[in-house]
Amino acid sequence: MKVKHVKLFLVSVSLFFGALFLASCTPSQAQASKPGALLWGENCVRCHNAPSPSAFSDSQWEVVGKHMRIRASLTADEVDKIVEFLKMAN
Amino acid sequence: MRKVLLILVLCTAMLSAQEKPGESRFLLRGYAHSGVEVRGDETTFVGGSFNPIFLWRQSDKLLFEAELEVEYENGETLIGLEYANMSYIINDYATLRLGKFLLPFGTFAAKLHPAWINRLSSKPLGFGHDGVGPARDLGVELRGGIPLGEAKMTYSVYMINGPALNDGTNPNVEPEEAGMLLYDLGEDNNNNKAIGGRVSFLPLSNSSMEIGFSGLYGKVGNVESKYEDVAALLYAVDFSYVSKVSFLSGVVDIKAQLNGVQVDDASYFNVEDSSNYSFSNKSSAYYVQMSYRPVNMSTDFLNSLEFVGRYSELSFPEGALWTSDQTQYAFGLNYWVDWRTVVKLSYQFADTGAHESEGEEGEASNDAIFLHWAFGF
Ligand code: HEC
Repeated sequence: MKVKHVKLFLVSVSLFFGALFLASCTPSQAQASKPGALLWGENCVRCHNAPSPSAFSDSQWEVVGKHMRIRASLTADEVDKIVEFLKMAN
Repeated sequence: MRKVLLILVLCTAMLSAQEKPGESRFLLRGYAHSGVEVRGDETTFVGGSFNPIFLWRQSDKLLFEAELEVEYENGETLIGLEYANMSYIINDYATLRLGKFLLPFGTFAAKLHPAWINRLSSKPLGFGHDGVGPARDLGVELRGGIPLGEAKMTYSVYMINGPALNDGTNPNVEPEEAGMLLYDLGEDNNNNKAIGGRVSFLPLSNSSMEIGFSGLYGKVGNVESKYEDVAALLYAVDFSYVSKVSFLSGVVDIKAQLNGVQVDDASYFNVEDSSNYSFSNKSSAYYVQMSYRPVNMSTDFLNSLEFVGRYSELSFPEGALWTSDQTQYAFGLNYWVDWRTVVKLSYQFADTGAHESEGEEGEASNDAIFLHWAFGF
């Protein structure tokens, strides 16, 4: 029983600090202004070869973008820009 | 006439309805591999596997992913569920996942094992079935990626059914493997959920390097048995570096991971000589892999080649009936037809150490040559 309370306490404390921490997290100016093509070249090669934009249609890229955002824990901003780029270049 | 008109109107309505994209998107993808393997005097074509992946993007916030593994082995077709889970994107920093998912315990199982991603035909020692550490389980997870100025981090915290201890008392689950953890059983053997997580840092501004730390803790013993309070701590450290190196005119890719498993000491029964025994129950496995792929070479052929080397080591506890120490070297030459299609030629040799383990077929023992092709769809 006691262990449960300790666990609960630890979880609440970490959630609180987690929330504080998140509120202060932003990309630097240089990171925020990276174009989608550059982000694609940097991020989509880390696990497998970077996919060719022509491999999929616009709506297919939207699904792949979601899938990879979750699988690779990419930031929301990165994925939005990459998907935008892939839809333009396909 | 009115009927015809009505039908016409209905048809037009249906057609124009189809033209609007709507929110739902469905994608059927996956991967497959197959090949030839030469081990000792034996040369066999292996069916490999076919893994369809189903992706339903329900809306901007909801994604369902599922993967089946269809394998042909010993004249039988086996179908397994790799994962099936729903993700709900809560905000820019957090996604909630529910269901059966690949565990972020290191990176190999969740991100690098598919045949078109793994640069060698085999898995590193201890990273396949009967390995050290889990690959998938049922539960809930919160995960996300967070920008930190020039750098980035990712996190995941999850609660799952967790591993179960083979306590050697069930004659149907290999009593000689008492002390080993069993993963992905589908149902829990106790009320205690295992809690785990991973944090990783990408310190460089071009995201080329990632260092991750994973942990998982939970009780593993069967409820109402004398092993009820036996718990296990599992941990992993992973590393990845992928970057263009101009003086090598190519891309260098380094991947590494260390997995460790520590199970509380317990006393087990030896069926063979009816004695009780116990041992310090610690297992570990690690691998280091490096690959190089030329770019900007004079011919397309050269640009499609890739060279890979990998070293892996596995150690199961001394004193256990399944004790083992193994090392393995693997080398490969790959030809990439395109970004997701590859022909892999690899050679591996292993030193199975003083105590050869049984049942770890293929991956663990003997020299082997593989010629595989792999497709990502
Ligand atoms: C952290 C590793 C990782 C990163 C980074 C990554 N991917 Fe993937 N990707 C995977 C894995 C793993 C799969 C295979 C999915 C499976 O088998 O479950 C995959 C599969 C795919 C597929 C096949 C279709 C599908 O959705 O399964 C495409 C296309 C793809 N990735 C595109 C991308 C793009 C575009 C990026 C950059 C935004 C990217 N990937 C970044 C790991 C990664």
